[in-house]
Amino acid sequence: MNNKETNKERFPSTAKLLKQIAKESESVKKNDRRDFLKKGFMFSAGAAAGSTFFTTKANAIDLPPKVPAVSKRLGKGVVDTPYGMPSKFESHVARRTQSWLTPDSIASISMSPIQEIKGIITPNGLHFERYHAGIANVNPDEYRLMIHGLVKKPILLTLEDIMRYPSVSRINFLECPANGGMEWRGPQMKALQFTHGMMSCSQWTGVYLKTILADLGVSPKGTWVLAEGGDGSACSRSIPMEKILDDAILAYGQNGEMLRPEQGYPIRLFLPGWEGNTSIKWLRRLEIGDKPWHHREETSKYTDLIKDGKSIRFSWVQEANSVITSPCPEHPWKGLKKGYVEIEGLAWSGRGKIKLVDISLDGGVNWKKAKLKGMVLPKAWTRFSYLHKWDGKPLLLQSRAIDETGYVQPTLKQLRDARGVESIYHKNSIHTWKVYQDGKVENVQFV
Amino acid sequence: MFSSYKNKLVLAVLSTSFALSALSAATNIDHAVIYKDNYKVKVTDRLYAKKHFNFGREATKEEIAGWDIDVRPDGKGLPEGKGTIVEGEKIYIEKCASCHGDFGEGKHGYPELAGGEGTTVLQRVNGETEEPLRTVGSYWPYASTLWDYINRAMPFPAPKTLTADEVYALTIYILYLNDIKINGKEIDEDFVLTKDNFKDIKLPNEKNFYPQEPNMKKTIHPDVKNTRCMKNCAKKNRKLVHVLSDLTSLEPLKRKKFVETKSVGQEKYEAACAVCHDSDAMGAPKLGDKKVWSKLIKQGKKTLYKNAIHGKGAMPPKGGTNYSDETIKKIIDYMIKKGS
Repeated sequence: MNNKETNKERFPSTAKLLKQIAKESESVKKNDRRDFLKKGFMFSAGAAAGSTFFTTKANAIDLPPKVPAVSKRLGKGVVDTPYGMPSKFESHVARRTQSWLTPDSIASISMSPIQEIKGIITPNGLHFERYHAGIANVNPDEYRLMIHGLVKKPILLTLEDIMRYPSVSRINFLECPANGGMEWRGPQMKALQFTHGMMSCSQWTGVYLKTILADLGVSPKGTWVLAEGGDGSACSRSIPMEKILDDAILAYGQNGEMLRPEQGYPIRLFLPGWEGNTSIKWLRRLEIGDKPWHHREETSKYTDLIKDGKSIRFSWVQEANSVITSPCPEHPWKGLKKGYVEIEGLAWSGRGKIKLVDISLDGGVNWKKAKLKGMVLPKAWTRFSYLHKWDGKPLLLQSRAIDETGYVQPTLKQLRDARGVESIYHKNSIHTWKVYQDGKVENVQFV
Repeated sequence: MFSSYKNKLVLAVLSTSFALSALSAATNIDHAVIYKDNYKVKVTDRLYAKKHFNFGREATKEEIAGWDIDVRPDGKGLPEGKGTIVEGEKIYIEKCASCHGDFGEGKHGYPELAGGEGTTVLQRVNGETEEPLRTVGSYWPYASTLWDYINRAMPFPAPKTLTADEVYALTIYILYLNDIKINGKEIDEDFVLTKDNFKDIKLPNEKNFYPQEPNMKKTIHPDVKNTRCMKNCAKKNRKLVHVLSDLTSLEPLKRKKFVETKSVGQEKYEAACAVCHDSDAMGAPKLGDKKVWSKLIKQGKKTLYKNAIHGKGAMPPKGGTNYSDETIKKIIDYMIKKGS
């Protein structure tokens, strides 16, 4: 035993070195031995406050000039988590819902934490959710897509078949047309996640539907396409052939991996710039026809009831919209010193690229041009930025997007004058944050 | 597109500081790139147009019949079958009323199916609290939608389990709850709904939907027109509305101060033992590896205590620490807990 130890000391092995590190980390802890004992005592006393006390203590000793414990020990090795997860300290970055919105969680919606999203890509685990009959867990081996109707050759495709077609990848936002719909009659939500969180932006990979349709011999009479989901609700929408031949994608990829089950694994229809409901998930069937079907999701729902009792149907496009994401109620200017600070936000348009974003500091009386950041892509989130020298006075912050068609994001008054307050969908009006002297940010509207 | 971008770069490199400042004064920062091309044209039309791949195989008539469930307002898609309000009421009470109410009035937040006639013009402004009801009778434009939706998605917990006869019966019963007239006549017990008389049903709100054919395919042009005003665009003293009753019911999530609660065993383990036992380094039984630990646990706690205190194999006594026996036991307890 002794000889063995001597040998080991003479030729220190990895094992020995590792043990040495372990010993050192133990000796560091020796300094805190009394704290340890105290902590042990408090635990045995069952005092909940004990842990809080010790954590405060631990935080204090981890600050400079002391070297934190984490710098003095080894961490977990590779493949400890085969599919990596965010830091445990980021658990507040999560999808959330409002239980009063829907009677259950099966046919419901959750909001993406857009106040926390960096850049223009939404991580897959944070993409907003909308189900009509819960998540369908489709076995890819049993997945089939049927395309039939006014075609020479009706076909059945496996997932493998679809993935053999030439692929395309596009960065596009996906937004529920009810995003912001809770605030037609007044401000109701105290957080950006709830005022604008029914949207996300991803790189979608798949095959252009026109590439597949070219194989089938579509009849000239085939002017409409019914898309139908394979979930319990068999969610269905009528899509004009023009959109299908323009940029409709059969998507299987989302930010570099296969779609999440929440997003329609293994295949969803993806219609860039159009209301999210038309991008049918768990797509099982496409039927080519000569008329629209007027199904439930395009008559009873997803139609815009106007104040004269008339209703707009097939209002597919998500018009230009924008919102300031910093500051926002979740990220106020609390403790901010007077001086330069960045006002940042997101702009997007279902008709194409964002051309300009303007910023107002006084509730829309005067406007200044903001700068665009990063990639400016069609039908994608676009970041804008404005450097403001804050003097500590209250502000009424607004942003106004203009897209490449020249469309200018409207005021809430303009929308209400045109439609009333009961149309639920497509509320893309200019949003107002009130910034108080103490930096607090609140959701407000002008009468 | 690429060449023009390249030219810009060349310009930026060759220019004087004056030209550079002119560039930085442009709209964008952060190397923002506005892509000038329309890549749908570039990628597919040019490369893949008129190419055929012919993947997949032809779908058979039987396969299509099994999945082709959709129904249109002109009756296309309706199968053979029949139903009456008497049959419909029985199924409705059994399978629908728990959510939609005995008379289609809605329950527990699930949709109302009947009533609401004349409410679609209501606006909840200026203190008005009555809201528009979007029921089959007051809002839906086509009865075929009702047949189609019941058939594809209802009853909510067991979709696609109703027979065609049951769907006909439920459809006519819900129309009856809405006092819908067919050919000017009220629906009575003798009325039998089939695919042949389905087209006689007209719902009162159909005329209020627009656009009508032939313009349905055209994406609606925006109904509001804002202009890009930069100075004195609004009155300075408008009334501001704050959140009156907060409906978020949740405070915005913020990063929590992280409070760790660790047992003495865990704390001591992490300080000294994790170095080997967090992985299978040097053949150490890995923490939480249930396969390995189930065998160890079978040896009994006492043996594990003894081996840890006196050492075994590559493991020196107490793992090379100066922990007390009691501490070692607590560590073993923690490791057993993680391994079982």
